[in-house]
Amino acid sequence: MGKTVQRTAYDSFRHVTRIILLVLMSVIVAFPLFYMFSSSLFSASDFNNLRLFPASPVWENYTRALNQKFFWRNMLNSVGTSILASVLRTAIAVLAAFAFTYFKFRGKNLIFTALVLTLFIPQEAVLYQNYRTIAKLGLLDTWAGIISTSLFSAAQMLLLMGSFKAQSKEIYDAARIDGATDLRYLTGILIPLSGPAILTVAIQTLIVTFNSYLWPLLVTNRSSSRTIQIAMTMLGYAESGQLGPQMATLVIATAPFLVILALAKKKIETTLTRR
Amino acid sequence: MSFKKSGKKKHFQNKAYLYLLPALTVAAAFCWYPSVKSIVESFLVVNQGGKVIGFAAFDNYRRLFSDQAFLHSIKVSVTFILLFVPANTFVTLLAASLTRRPSRLSFIPEYIFFTPVAVSLSAYSLLMSDIFRGEASVLNNLFSTAFSGITTPAGAMAVLVILGIFLDFGLDYILLMCAFRSIDRSVIEAARMDGAGGWRLYWCVEVPMIKNTVLVTIFLALKDALLISAPIIILTEGGPYRSTETIMFYYYTEAFRSGNRAVQNALASIVLLIAGAGMTVYSIFKRKKEAL
Amino acid sequence: MKKIFSAVLLIIFLSSVHVFAAGLRESSSALTEVEIWHSAQGSNAEVFDSIIETFNNTIGKEKGIVATSIYQGKANDVLTKINAASGTDSLPDIAMMDATAATDMNASDYLVTIDALGIDTSKIIECGLSSYTSEKGLLALPFNASALLYYYNKTLYDSLGLSAPETIDQMAYVVSKTGLAGSNGKLLRVGFIGIPTTFELSTFIGSQNGLSYMLDNRNGHDGVATKAVFGEEGTYKTFLLEWKKVFDTGFYSTATTGTTEEFTAGRAAAMLASSSKLATIINSAEGFEVGVASVPMVNENATGGTVISGGALFAFSDNEAVKTVLEYLVSKDVQAIWSEGTGYVPVNTESYETESYRSFLKENPLYKVASDALLSSNPGMTNVWVPSAYSIYYSFQTNIINYLNGTGVDETVSEMESIINSAIKTYREQNL
Repeated sequence: MGKTVQRTAYDSFRHVTRIILLVLMSVIVAFPLFYMFSSSLFSASDFNNLRLFPASPVWENYTRALNQKFFWRNMLNSVGTSILASVLRTAIAVLAAFAFTYFKFRGKNLIFTALVLTLFIPQEAVLYQNYRTIAKLGLLDTWAGIISTSLFSAAQMLLLMGSFKAQSKEIYDAARIDGATDLRYLTGILIPLSGPAILTVAIQTLIVTFNSYLWPLLVTNRSSSRTIQIAMTMLGYAESGQLGPQMATLVIATAPFLVILALAKKKIETTLTRR
Repeated sequence: MSFKKSGKKKHFQNKAYLYLLPALTVAAAFCWYPSVKSIVESFLVVNQGGKVIGFAAFDNYRRLFSDQAFLHSIKVSVTFILLFVPANTFVTLLAASLTRRPSRLSFIPEYIFFTPVAVSLSAYSLLMSDIFRGEASVLNNLFSTAFSGITTPAGAMAVLVILGIFLDFGLDYILLMCAFRSIDRSVIEAARMDGAGGWRLYWCVEVPMIKNTVLVTIFLALKDALLISAPIIILTEGGPYRSTETIMFYYYTEAFRSGNRAVQNALASIVLLIAGAGMTVYSIFKRKKEAL
Repeated sequence: MKKIFSAVLLIIFLSSVHVFAAGLRESSSALTEVEIWHSAQGSNAEVFDSIIETFNNTIGKEKGIVATSIYQGKANDVLTKINAASGTDSLPDIAMMDATAATDMNASDYLVTIDALGIDTSKIIECGLSSYTSEKGLLALPFNASALLYYYNKTLYDSLGLSAPETIDQMAYVVSKTGLAGSNGKLLRVGFIGIPTTFELSTFIGSQNGLSYMLDNRNGHDGVATKAVFGEEGTYKTFLLEWKKVFDTGFYSTATTGTTEEFTAGRAAAMLASSSKLATIINSAEGFEVGVASVPMVNENATGGTVISGGALFAFSDNEAVKTVLEYLVSKDVQAIWSEGTGYVPVNTESYETESYRSFLKENPLYKVASDALLSSNPGMTNVWVPSAYSIYYSFQTNIINYLNGTGVDETVSEMESIINSAIKTYREQNL
């Protein structure tokens, strides 16, 4: 950055305004997270006295959070369903995108339209009907019940198709002539070549599933089958002003993602920034 | 070559269907079937157990539109959309603009602006319900203000808008910031050479170049605002005085709490219609944009 | 290879559904499981869980029954879950709900009435039984019974030489004395917090003239109500006119959420709340002594007493195990323990006779206020069974706040009447 150009008063005014705005916005955006960490160490009276920092940190909140009867089970459900959904949903989208980019078959346009039109159907609008379906299949309180309605995303399929189309078709033909099966081609060549797109799809699903609320709330009735996102709203501490353990649970469920985000930030930026 | 291809074509057909089978199964079972069923049943009388007991014609719709609570929920949703969408666009665009050029310390605000993606809906809702719990709140205490938080209708709406922004902020910010950084440097340099700087450079060169991404974020915001219900379940349960009972929250309580099949099917059909219309407009718009 | 791949894919997709379905189901054994959905929060939940645990270690062990308690959110969240689960195989065996569930449960075909289970209810308090009895019989077994109480900051009241008000008129005076405004006009402490809604009104309206109802058919207990009667009987208007006096003091907060927290933090000098919050409130009150009194009367003619509130246990399975669990939960010792730990009123008349409960009341006289109020009330006082109860609950709040903000009193009453009447009409059209 060559700063030979002389700064006018206007320029420095802009610069200062920019810094102030930036600091202000950062503080605002970070505040709920700060409050989450801080209040996870609050006693009941810290909440009552509207404190910003705990009078003296109550580490017991964390032991209480971790000692909830179903804490680990709820965590396992969250992690299990998100990994499973991530793998299955990505696989389903990859296969569909593969079929559309590499094959010619009867009804291709019709099937494609039918799948893309699912973009027009918000899951919220069919919440009740899907609940009935899941209940009829006997899948309430199961991992399958939590994930199966969201296993296909047309948006992800389109994203992958864009990435697949960028790969040269000649490689495929060559691979076929060399006797490679579709599977070999898919796992050995296409998937590695479309790495960033597939990773984006997988991570997106992972986060969305881990953080989903309404659907898991509807399809789980037992404490042992709830995900952590549901469990944290079901602690029932609010009534007694004992929010500390609840905040501690929030921290435990959120912190890992904050770390992952810090590590993956550069990757996300480079994937999404086209130059 | 051509001989081989025609040979393959026939062979490929069946395989393609197999690869599409999982996607089709899920789409059929959880998108098509429930949509069609909702629309069909919205013209029928269905009892609580799900049994069809008669033909209703438009009675279900008539009933829905004569329900004061539903009409009120439309008002609430419209208010929310009008407040949330502009506010969200402004705030996320501002954050992205402020960090559009990387500098030595910019990774700090960038990371902070990324964090909302990592925080779940229920976590943010629980946090907001405590931070804005009433006139006696940690923020009012800090700034000696008297914001009523979720205890008054206007306050609850404001908190819901703030919560909505936090929920959308992370993704919107990432999209917009990366869009800014994807702008070809040479374009900016050329504009600079022409003497464009500061505001002019920003408004006349940079913003027009990310217009498509801005539109995407606005569209996402509209969709989220129309469909918002889960944060309300945690934050206000529709209150106080029904001030935060949006259309989809009304749907949730009628469908699941009251077991009102008439309202549930009619409303689901209407939402499907709105979503369909919205998506159609959007895709036509997008196609036009791309054609240009 | 290709075939294997395809096969694996198919298997993964088709079987994942069943594999994972099986994965979460608890393995069943010879033990009979009784699933209970409840709405007890915080320390009340801890007491409830420990009662269930005791059952599992004693009677349960003997008879091969395992009771599981599952928290499902607030009382209306439990109702949401029950309504959603009806028609699926995921209904619990027992659910703890309140009066808002009564209309739905009375109409449902999956409820197992207490009479059908053959439980002996001769020891259950009368007002508890009458509050859950419909034309079908006893719908639910009273378990967590409570009464509305006037909670006040006793330390503050004592320092000002005030005592708990006996009428709303007196209450207005007390509120005007206990509110505190800062130099800038900002309220530092309000004299009263909260907006009455269905539960409060069932007492405020019900207690007038010895005994009044809000709806016909004895508040919906003798078959679904056909209309609201608080308009033509003038009871709602009487209440509103009195309540306005409290509002006019300027030290009244219309908040509907977080009221308990405001009270325990000392920023509100009084509120109306269920006796079920007693233990929690005493434990979390910051730097002052909590006082409770029975609900102020609307006027001198309001002699009916107070309506029993709180909840009851609804059964959805008809078997010995469910019967055993229910009988255990309303037994005299369990009810005494439950009451001591929470503030609920024992529903078993024998609980009051036990030595331990007597000495507990001697040491903790506040716990006696609710049961005294209930037991001396007119047993005809019943909670309100109205369709769309949840929606009506919010309508009352809105209606009252509109009145306080200037809507005329007659207009207010007739608007509320028409809201309730139209909810009743829709329900009757669809379901009767």
